[in-house]
Parts: sequence; C-alpha cells; structure tokens
Amino acid sequence: MDDKGWSLKGSLLPLLLLVSDLLLCQGVTSLPICPTGAVNCQVSLRDLFDRAVILSHYIHNLSSEMFNEFDKKYAQGRGFITKAINSCHTSSLSTPEDKEQAQQIHHEDLLNLILRVLRSWNDPLYHLVSEVRRMQEAPDSMLSRAIEIEEQNRRLLEGMEKIVGQVHPGVRENEVYSIWSGLPSLQMADEDSRLFAFYNLLHCLRRDSHKIDNYLKLLKCRIVYDSNC
Amino acid sequence: MDLWQVLLTLAVAGSSNAVSGSEATPAILGRASQSLQRVNPGPGTNSSGKPQFTKCRSPELETFSCHWTDGINHGLKNPGSIQLFYIRRNTQEWTQEWKECPDYVSAGENSCYFNSSYTSIWIPYCIKLTSNGGMVDQKCFSVEEIVQPDPPIGLNWTLLNVSLTGIHADIQVRWEPPPNADVRKGWIVLEYELQYKEVNESQWKMMDPVRSTSVPVYSLRLDKEYEVRVRSRQRNSEKYGEFSEALYVALPQMSPFACEEDFPFPWFLIIIFGIFGLTMILFLFIFSKQQRIKMLILPPVPVPKIKGIDPDLLKEGKLEEVNTILAIHDNYKPEFYNDDSWVEFIELDIDDPEEKTEGSDTDRLLSSDHEKSLNILGAKDDDSGRTSCYEPDLLETDFNASDVCDSTSEVAQPQRLKGEVDLLCLDQKSQNNSPSADTAPTTQQPSVILAKEDKTRPLLISGSESTHQAAHPQLSNPSSLANIDFYAQVSDITPAGSVVLSPGQKNKAGMSPCDSPPEVVSLCQANFIMDSAYFCEADAKKCITVAPPVEAESRAEPSFNQEDIYITTESLTTTAGQSGTAELAPSSERPVPDYTSIHIVQSPRGLVLNATALPLPDKEFLSSCGYVSTDQLNKIMP
Repeated sequence: MDDKGWSLKGSLLPLLLLVSDLLLCQGVTSLPICPTGAVNCQVSLRDLFDRAVILSHYIHNLSSEMFNEFDKKYAQGRGFITKAINSCHTSSLSTPEDKEQAQQIHHEDLLNLILRVLRSWNDPLYHLVSEVRRMQEAPDSMLSRAIEIEEQNRRLLEGMEKIVGQVHPGVRENEVYSIWSGLPSLQMADEDSRLFAFYNLLHCLRRDSHKIDNYLKLLKCRIVYDSNC
Repeated sequence: MDLWQVLLTLAVAGSSNAVSGSEATPAILGRASQSLQRVNPGPGTNSSGKPQFTKCRSPELETFSCHWTDGINHGLKNPGSIQLFYIRRNTQEWTQEWKECPDYVSAGENSCYFNSSYTSIWIPYCIKLTSNGGMVDQKCFSVEEIVQPDPPIGLNWTLLNVSLTGIHADIQVRWEPPPNADVRKGWIVLEYELQYKEVNESQWKMMDPVRSTSVPVYSLRLDKEYEVRVRSRQRNSEKYGEFSEALYVALPQMSPFACEEDFPFPWFLIIIFGIFGLTMILFLFIFSKQQRIKMLILPPVPVPKIKGIDPDLLKEGKLEEVNTILAIHDNYKPEFYNDDSWVEFIELDIDDPEEKTEGSDTDRLLSSDHEKSLNILGAKDDDSGRTSCYEPDLLETDFNASDVCDSTSEVAQPQRLKGEVDLLCLDQKSQNNSPSADTAPTTQQPSVILAKEDKTRPLLISGSESTHQAAHPQLSNPSSLANIDFYAQVSDITPAGSVVLSPGQKNKAGMSPCDSPPEVVSLCQANFIMDSAYFCEADAKKCITVAPPVEAESRAEPSFNQEDIYITTESLTTTAGQSGTAELAPSSERPVPDYTSIHIVQSPRGLVLNATALPLPDKEFLSSCGYVSTDQLNKIMP
C-alpha cells in the first residue's frame, strides 16, 4: 500500500512542483505567468482547475498514507475503532454528502465551501506538524508527510482563491471556517489519549481531503468540461 | 480505510479487554469519546457458527451494500432472525436509533443494500448484525472507504500493426467504464489495470494502471492466443474491483513467409568487429611511439654496414679518416672479426674528436697528462674488445677504438718506442725538417710500423718532405702534430726508468738504420697521410710504392709479412736477436741502431737519449737517413 502510494507520490511530485510554481505565479517560462497583483492576467480556468485537482489528489494520497502508517504503527492492539464516534471539527460545515446534493448546490457555494474547509485545516495542520515533530517515536516519513500536507494545503487554498476570483469575481465572502480545538488533546500526557487524538485528527484529515478532492473533480467537470469529462 | 482492516483490527483487539460494546447505543457512542469501542471480533472463519460481516462495498460512491455469512448452524436456527441495523452519525450527535436494513434483497442473500437515499458519503456508519435479537457482529466505516467499482464493460481489441518479421503484433484494447460509475460528471474518477496472458498459461501479466479507457498491448506473438481482462478502482483507493470478463484475442495467423524466429548468433557481426578491433590495435602499434613494441611488431631492417666502418664517421665527412679506414679495411683479416665485431669498431668516441687528435701516441708521451700516459701504459680491460689491444700477440689496430686503445691498439711498446724514436729523430729533424706538417686525419691510430723484416722497404710512411714533420712543432705543439705519430718500439723499460727502444727490424735492404731501430715505422699510408719523422728518402720512396697496405692500424700478425706494418715485440726481439742484440744493429740485417735508451726525461716534451746503445752505422746513417740521432750528430759533427 505504501509502495503504491509512494509511486503515486513520486509521479505527482514533479507535477506538484510545477503546479505549485504556477499557482504562485513564479517563473515557469513555458507556461503563462501571472505576476502577483496583475489584474488582467488570466491563467485559464481549465489550467487552474487542473492544477487544483492535482493538488487535492496529492493531498489526499498523502493523508491516506499517513493515516495508514499511523494506524499500522500505533493503533494496532489499541482498538481505536473510533471512526464511528470521532467527530471532525469541520463537520459543522454543511457540505453536500452525496452526489445529488453536490449536483444541486451552486458551484459558487461549493467553491466557498471548499475554501472554508481548506481554511479550517490551516491551524490543525500547523499543530500537527509541530506535535509530530515532538513525538519521538514518530517515523520520519510521517513528519515529512505532515509538512508536505500543510504546505500543499496552503497552496491549494491560494489556488482556490484564484479560481473563485475568476469564477465569481468581485464577491469576497467573509472568511468563515471551523475552529479547531483539538490541540489540548494532542498534547495530553496520557499516551493512549494522545495517540487517540492523533488517530482522530488523521482520520478527519483523510476524510476531508477526500471530500475536497471529490468536490473539485466534480466542479472541474461541471465548469470546464460542462459535465462531460 | 477498507473494511478488511477494520475486521483485522477487531480480530486483534478481541483478546484484549473488551468493553461491552454489544449494545453500542447511540448514547454510548455519543458519550464515549474517550472510551474505546470494542467489538467482539469474529474469527476469520466462521467456525463458531456465528454470522459475520464479510464485506461492505460501494461500487460508485452512491450506494453501498453489506454482506454477511450465515452461521454453520444455519439450518438449526431460524434463518430469518438475522437482522442488520445501521446507524449513521448526523452532525455531531448520535441522535438516531438503529435502523434496520432497508433492502435485504437487492444485493442478494445475506446482504443489505443501501440505495442512494440512504447513503451519505463522508459520514460514519455503524452496522450491526443481530441474530434473534442478539448482536453477533458490528462494524463501522465510511462510505468513501469501501469503494470498489464494478468491472469495466465492453472490452474489445484492434490490431495496431504487425512487425516486419511477421512474428509479433501490437493490439489496442478498449473498454467502457462501469455503467454505474458516474465518471462523466466527475463524481468518481477511476483508473484501470489490464492483465493478459496466453491461453494456456496460468500466470497473468499485469500492466501499470492507466486512467484512460484504452491501452495498447505490445509484442504479442502471432502464433499464440491471448486473454485480456481489466479491472478498475477509484483513483484514491487501493482496492480494486472485480475483474471484467476475459477477452479472447485471436490474432491473425502467421504468414508462412515469416522470418526465422530465433535470432541467430551474430557470427558475421562478431567477425567484422573482431577484425576491426584487431586492425585498430595493429595500427596503434604501428604508429605508436613505443619503440619497443614497434621493434617487436616491425623489427628494423638492418642497415647495410661495412665492417669496421662507422656510418657516423662517413657522415661526418672527415675524408682523411675515411680514407684511412678504407685503406685499412683492405688489410683486415676476416678471421679476426666475428659477426658482431663491427660493434667493437663502433666504440668510437665521436663526441670527442679533440681527444683523438690529441691522442697520438707521441702526444701522449709528451704530454703532461700523466693520466693519458698512464692510460697508454695501462691496460684498459673491458669488454669492448680493446683488451685485445693489449694482447702482445696481436697486433691489432682498432682504429675506431678510443684513445686509450689508440695508444694501445698498436703495440703499446712499439708505440712508445716509436714515440721515443720520434723524439730522437725529431731532435735531429727539428733543425732539419721543414715544418711541413702533414696532418694525418686519423689521429686515432697511429700505426706503429715496425721495421719490416720481410719487406724490402722500410715501413716508412711518408716521404721525407711530407713526413718531415717538424719535431719542433711536434714537440712544441703536440696538437699540430695530431696526425703525426712517431713510433718506436719500446722493448723494455729499465728499472732505472729509462726506456729501452728495441731495434727496428729491417730485413729489407732498404731499411735505413734510422728506420730500423725503430721500428719506428710511421704509417705508410697511401697518401702519406700519416707522417713519421723517421723515414728516409729511400724508404719513403719504397713506402710510396708500398702504398696502402701500410697502415698503422692494420692488425698485423706476429709474423712479419710484407704487408705487415706492425711487428710485435717478440718478433722484433727475435729479429733483433737475429740481427743481434737490441742494442746492436742486427748483423745479418742492416745494423739498426734502432733505439736508444732514454737518459732522462727532461720535460714532458723532451727526452734525452743515451746514445750508447745506439749503434750507428754512420755510413748508412748518413746516407740513408734524413735524420741523425744526437750522438750521431755529435759524432758527425764534433
């Protein structure tokens, strides 16, 4: 499982670097460059969506790998069968839960929802990195993945804001997001509790990254390809 | 996280302390955020007879279904008592009750089907299996974790091309995504994996996952038949769906004109490249700078050589020397020279011609360079062949030899003798002779020409005029007399230090007393190049007629031949003995006051000879010689 994930990661990493550069509008000569602050610069929506989908797919892969690794290493024998009872901090955001709902929602609203979810994860990811770093028994791969996820999440957020600026220009919603309050549980002294908190967080991360990925692919097909991927 | 991992976790956790989770009510679920939900795990095999969940699966992320197995004791129990309840968390609360499965039928037996209205993605579900009211199994999951798409449909293949050899072919396999997966709207994104194998094989060959719905398969053999199958999975997942039905690929028959399949061993290529490589190596050798290798591969062609002649000498262009050499060459005794004897001749100190020019015996005698004199006297024993110079039996003249041998090449003693006699005569001559220096080109070998016993003519070298070398010049300027050597045979060195010159062997009538004593025979070169102070007109004339054979360097045999220039000490002694004592002129022959003992050595350039031992045939002396010894002179001229 890890191998496949890593192979995917390996294939995506160059793409990711390219996308990240493009999203930041930094010197990729072969592709159109938008200097920051330019008003009329238009990277095509198709390219923006392509890059966003690539990013979201990448983030979800990393999250899955991270969760699986954690589960294999720490959750065995501890019975962290808490998927049913854990609650993610982003659950308060009313996101569509199936295809019909997703198809019915307007794409602007969906985009805003995506932005909200992404913003909600800025803080937890930051703390995840610091806590994993403090965790002595954490493998290096986990830490590197955590760092990567945090960075890509930021990039995806910026990309999404660009997309929103193109799709729905002029409207700037208030920055709404869910607040994460799970930091104390990540820092608990009790190892079991602390590991459970990690497990919870990683499980939520995996789920939300899958959600974002799905929404974006749906939106891409809807907006760019007119529902005909 | 897929279902199997959940089951495995349950199985592992089963042994540990299990919180009673059989009655996992929503309240418990909602409340026990800190407690761990444990479920009695069922073993993998349903050995205990309890019904268990086998698989929950969502093919398109819109619906899902769960399957379980009946217990072994199915027949015993009421089959209809098994129930499935589910619950899903809504927002933050587990407010709902357990609901029963909405559809027990659509997914088959022992299954529960949740259609799209009951399905929420990214929402945790828990299901439990009850039998007669008692829970037998439970699991929790989210729908996005259990996605396993249906197999693709509509597999077909087309022939892309056939190889030139007619053995292999490429095909393109196409298919359609599973119909229930909404890829058009992008709700689910799939990737596919193709596998193929020969019909009679058992192992499938896998290809890498692709995102498109068609993929080429390369290099299939035309004489074989293949099967192809495809399966799909959601791109983010790891679990594949089921395989499609195998597609049978019947390739066109191989044409009878197909090429030989086996790739023959490329003999031709190997030969070509081998030859090429060897040629390269050969050229490398030939044109390389490595002389050794070059010599090995291409040994040098021997340059034509004349024995005894140094090619460098010819190049240098000293004509006199060349003439000397050529002249001497005729006198060579073949048996003296081995096949490699020419190497001996090569020992020529070309780089120091000065030394040669100065290396005349007389000069050596006269010079203050004691080393030289020592060299003259000393035997240089090495393997250059010069040792032969010191052999008393051999009158060898290695005119190519070094100075040392020069001095010694001839008979050492005769040289010395000659030198002395030269001095002796030179004293006389110095007043008489006109300084006509005939410079013999070959300084190397002054040839000691001893008195010939057989020859009627004395071994004189140069005519009086030409050979009259100014003794004075010689004495005063040895270098100018480089080519002029005066030789007298030194028969012995007295303990007192005086040098005893042996009488010259003059068997010929024409031998002058002056000539005889010495065997002072100067080189009688053809051109009278080599001059000696000692010659008389008569002798000179004879010498002239004698011509070339007279060569100092010629290696004369001990026996006195007409052609011999040298006479060994022994021969001289014998002849002297024959003719009388050394001091006495040979009675049978011409009285030859050939020598005189050296009284003192005044200077490096002067020798005072005792005239006592010198028999002076005054008559002949006066008549024939162009010189007189000191005593003679004194006698003659009181």
